[in-house]
Amino acid sequence: MKKFIVLLILCCASSQVWPEEATLQNIKVDTDLPAIERGMDDLMNNCHACHSLKYISYLDLLKLGIDKKKVDFMRGDQPLAAPLTGMLSDEAAMQMFGLVPPDLSLMTKAREGGPSYVYSYLLGYYNTPDGVTHNRIFPATKMPDPLGISTATDPAKREELKKTAHDIVSFLAWASDPHSAERHRLGYYVIGYLLFLTALLYAVKNRIWAGLKKH
Amino acid sequence: MADKDTLSDAKRRKFLIKVTSVVGVAGAAAACLPFIDSMNPSADVLAKATTEVDLSGIPESGVHIVAWQGKPVFVYHRTQAEIKAMEASNGVLDPESDQQRVKQPEWLVVVGVCTHMGCVPNKSDSGWLCPCHGSEYDDSGRVVRGPAPKNLEVPPYKFVAADKIVIGVA
Amino acid sequence: MKNRVIGWIDQRFPLSSFVKHDLTEYPTPRNLSYWWNFGFLAGFVLVLQVATGIFLAMHYRADASLSFDSVQHIMRDVNYGWLLRFMHATGASAFFMVIYIHMARTLYYGSYRAPRELMWWTGQGLLLMLMATAFMGYLLPWGQMSYWGATVITNLFKVTPYFGDQIVTWLRGDYSVSDATLTRFFSLHYLLPFLIIGGVVVHLVALHTVKSSNPSGIDLAARDNIPFHPYFTSKDLFGLGIFLIVYCIFVFFFPNMLMDPANFIPANPMQTPAEIVPEWYFLPFYAILRSVPNMVGGVVAMGLSVMMFAFMPFLDRSRIPGGASNRPMVKLGFYLFIINMLVLGYVGAHPVSERTLLIGHIATIFYFGSFFLIPFISKAEERWLIKRGLSPELKELMEREAREKTQSQARRRSGDTK
Repeated sequence: MKKFIVLLILCCASSQVWPEEATLQNIKVDTDLPAIERGMDDLMNNCHACHSLKYISYLDLLKLGIDKKKVDFMRGDQPLAAPLTGMLSDEAAMQMFGLVPPDLSLMTKAREGGPSYVYSYLLGYYNTPDGVTHNRIFPATKMPDPLGISTATDPAKREELKKTAHDIVSFLAWASDPHSAERHRLGYYVIGYLLFLTALLYAVKNRIWAGLKKH
Repeated sequence: MADKDTLSDAKRRKFLIKVTSVVGVAGAAAACLPFIDSMNPSADVLAKATTEVDLSGIPESGVHIVAWQGKPVFVYHRTQAEIKAMEASNGVLDPESDQQRVKQPEWLVVVGVCTHMGCVPNKSDSGWLCPCHGSEYDDSGRVVRGPAPKNLEVPPYKFVAADKIVIGVA
Repeated sequence: MKNRVIGWIDQRFPLSSFVKHDLTEYPTPRNLSYWWNFGFLAGFVLVLQVATGIFLAMHYRADASLSFDSVQHIMRDVNYGWLLRFMHATGASAFFMVIYIHMARTLYYGSYRAPRELMWWTGQGLLLMLMATAFMGYLLPWGQMSYWGATVITNLFKVTPYFGDQIVTWLRGDYSVSDATLTRFFSLHYLLPFLIIGGVVVHLVALHTVKSSNPSGIDLAARDNIPFHPYFTSKDLFGLGIFLIVYCIFVFFFPNMLMDPANFIPANPMQTPAEIVPEWYFLPFYAILRSVPNMVGGVVAMGLSVMMFAFMPFLDRSRIPGGASNRPMVKLGFYLFIINMLVLGYVGAHPVSERTLLIGHIATIFYFGSFFLIPFISKAEERWLIKRGLSPELKELMEREAREKTQSQARRRSGDTK
């Protein structure tokens, strides 16, 4: 019977994993502040002109641990509680791309493959011999190559871009789930407590049932 | 001998059950905390707990009304004559010196909620007049005629620059 | 003081006798295994879902233009909102897992047989209400999968003869899933759990009339029963500890595992996601829907697939007492059925292809076939087992049951209804 439970769990787990048309480069995001902050800077430079992060406010950045002066500089005269809205109006975006660039707050959760998808997508641009840029992960994309990976030929430059993409994805992963560090920390305490309590309950149960077996 | 053993056995069992109950109840109580805390003001509400006011745009004898924690706050740019008059008096119904009520004499910052029944007073020539029951306040926000029992409340605020205050933090 | 308060209440309300009769001294078979913990666990998860749901409802907005944002507000700004939401979302899966194990136990040990048919049927009713609650709750985050799942499922009612289209429109309150649908789903999602609680009370009253079944499948003599407290309170609480550990591992470390990525995109009525996949607990039934090539047939088959369980007391015609442990054919059938469920789940989770279609057809036929064959198998198995020779206890039990049956029939014939 136990085997069936294991099977059932495996079945549920596998139901979430879809075959991807193009293989993703699997990455593990960084959760340390310096990497996330680098990612934030890169995102501000490369993505924020068109994409909003409407569920993230300057206050969230402050809580994350970004320096107050830097946050104040970023927000200008906007209040701390203001969200990181995009700088491109919807109308202008429609004119330029034919669609409104999606909000990035939940991007690493909203795609199969999560952070690995976004990472592979950012680095998925390539040039065909006749000079047209394509993306191997999302061929129908309307977004021009944001990091310039399609034209970078120098290996050192490519490595640098990979690092940039990794940092951006780390920032986005934080943005999609700002409480994840707190959740994990609390989780260890809760599980620890439950293990202790369950051990006690097991002992109590055994003691009580031992009395029954005697008679 | 056997009796003693069973006795200590029962005692041990009782103790174990007691310990387990205490641990279990403590855990259940702790599990209630997130539920209770979820009813406290959320982060976006707390973000509104402080309000920044730029003073540079307020002319002399101009009142700027800002919302702070959902309540109106009067930021009043007083004239020199008004400052002099206010510093000379000590209030009527709720005596308090003007110096105690301002951080810089030019700027009066008070919560615009009548201390009687919570209406918002209107600016009058000599201070504020509450439309609900006729209470009057002077240019220091002190009550000069009832039924209001107390002066207008001064919220915690501080100057973060020469012409910028933050209301909500002292 | 305490005694006087209780005495005062007892004169007006049967508190002490209720606690004694149905809790502390409630007679319970001493041989219950851990598979008997899942009823209690289901009750616990129900309370958990109601509690987290009530607190979430304080922050949630049932409005097509606000609900997606309000869920993000809960996840980001509300104090411990992320915890409440993950507890509620994981709790839904936990609820189904616990209920499915509870049902599997009942099937394995034949607990649905006389005199427990009403327990089985109230349980079936509770399952239907649970499914409806889960389905309506899934619309509330107003993500892409919420929206299109609700669109597909409400469209199932199109197969109603004559009034199909009107019923679909009536269910939605609009020509497509919209704000009107969202608000009524929220209202019913809040209401149904309380009806479930009512159903649970009926389920428990029935239980305390017929008493628990047990792994031997034989109704035990009084000397084999022990009081519920402290034996089963301690056992249930230990089981709860194990459950909470597994549950909390999911809540704190893998809360997104069972969430579909498409549901992190706000609902867009103009664009269907590449694949519509229901939550895991609906997958086998969804696979049956897709396996029948005819629209009406598919919907009927899916409805029937959930309802088939209710026929079990009629379908199982064997007089051999006890569950699968006494009945090798039933045991084999049980395991094959579970494997088939998993196969159906696999088919439901994967996009339609020639291969999954074929597997789906076979598994669907097997699913219904196993129900239709039960009467014949159970009878044949009974004959075979009797021919092979039963253990003396089983024989004695069967004789006693037969005797009691003829006696009660005779009484009924002679008009003595006592």
